[in-house]
Amino acid sequence: MAYHLQESLDELIQTQQITPQLALQVLLQFDKAINTALANRVRNRVNFKGSLNTYRFCDNVWTFVLNDVEFREVTDLVKVDKVKIVACDGKNTGSNAAE
Amino acid sequence: MASSANSNPVPKLYRSVMEDVINEVRELFLDEGVDEQVLMELKTLWESKLMQSKAVDGFHTEEQGALQVQQQVQQVQQTQQPSQPQQVLLPPAQQAPQQQVIVQDSKILQHMGATGMSAAATAATLALPTGVAGVGPYQQLITSQGQILQVVRAANGAQYIIQPQQPIMVQQQVLPQMQPGGVQAPVIQQVLAPLQGGLPQQTGVIIQPQQIVLTGNKVQQNAQVMQAAMAAQAGQGAAQIQAQGQPQPQVQSQQQQPQPQTQPQQAAQQQPPMMLQVDGAGDTSSEEDEEEEDEYDEDEDEDKDKDGAEDGQVEEEPLNSGDDVSDEEDQELFDTENVVVCQYDKIHRSKNKWKFHLKDGIMNLNGRDYVFSKAIGDAEW
Repeated sequence: MAYHLQESLDELIQTQQITPQLALQVLLQFDKAINTALANRVRNRVNFKGSLNTYRFCDNVWTFVLNDVEFREVTDLVKVDKVKIVACDGKNTGSNAAE
Repeated sequence: MASSANSNPVPKLYRSVMEDVINEVRELFLDEGVDEQVLMELKTLWESKLMQSKAVDGFHTEEQGALQVQQQVQQVQQTQQPSQPQQVLLPPAQQAPQQQVIVQDSKILQHMGATGMSAAATAATLALPTGVAGVGPYQQLITSQGQILQVVRAANGAQYIIQPQQPIMVQQQVLPQMQPGGVQAPVIQQVLAPLQGGLPQQTGVIIQPQQIVLTGNKVQQNAQVMQAAMAAQAGQGAAQIQAQGQPQPQVQSQQQQPQPQTQPQQAAQQQPPMMLQVDGAGDTSSEEDEEEEDEYDEDEDEDKDKDGAEDGQVEEEPLNSGDDVSDEEDQELFDTENVVVCQYDKIHRSKNKWKFHLKDGIMNLNGRDYVFSKAIGDAEW
């Protein structure tokens, strides 16, 4: 979603309707907003199960690649063959780069 | 847009997030002296992209002012226009620069649909823009005829259009950009006629060995009409063999132009396609392939491909098998790299058993977006 926002901003920049500086501000604002929204508005739980292919822990960021994973929510089930999980430290408001 | 679940909280969440963000940046915009119009434009762009990605529902306009209503009308008109001749949904791929190509595609498709051309011709015409090689990795094109064409971009940059709904398989192949020539060769079109023996409407040609594996996997159910004659390069010749190896020999009989000599050879070579690819590269079919190559050169790549074909084939074999492993398109409609971005509460491991306690995450699975406040997982390494 952030990606789409970024694209839109880039388009505006190219047509010179906004400055890059402003675009940056918007993105920062977006990050804040989405973090708050995620924390406050979302209240659902997911389970998942799969096999671990790789794991990495660097700069307090975990990166996993899982294979043959099933994501299970109350309502539905999603299966994927490969998924990459990037997890920042959740204890001290780690920066969360929204998609 | 009935694709979303009944009570999918994601669109609403995104909607509200977008509202919040827009409102918050409105102040920023005004500070910069930027017109509110621009803000609305940003919002519109953002919403339309979100809609295209099908991760969120359609956007609301009732809550906003007249500006948005106007923009909505414009957008609706725009969306209706492509839907009338043809409904082309091109969920933007993950790479921005390719979107331009998508637009070109959609325009062409619109044109196609307007003229009522058959799917084959449509795809064939799609092949025309050679510059389209940059079409996004995986896209779904839904034509007005209700056929779902999958434009699949293999790792090598080859493109396929696959119609699972119809026996006719249309393959659009763009020579991979990674070829040494670096030239985006004209697109080779393949129209695979069904077993009825329908003549390919377009000069079917072939494939690059890299692409064949994917093709073959998908085409197993369908008859392939491969015109051996058109298969120019040695590499492609071997590719033919491989591709033809998978469909039935019936296909051969349907070939129009093939030189009879090639058929038995190819038939003989069909059985162990993977192996023969190497053999067939330089030797047996070389003569005929050279002839075909000559014909093909006019349409296709430079000589570099020819020369590199033999060598490339040996390399391409492992590449092909690599393609098989990495590109699991059969199992997923969207070959998105499924991503989860979140925070972790606790990551635990016992021997090779991992437990994940995650929170506040956004997931993109199979092209769709999900969110969670908590996620618990198990995996074995």
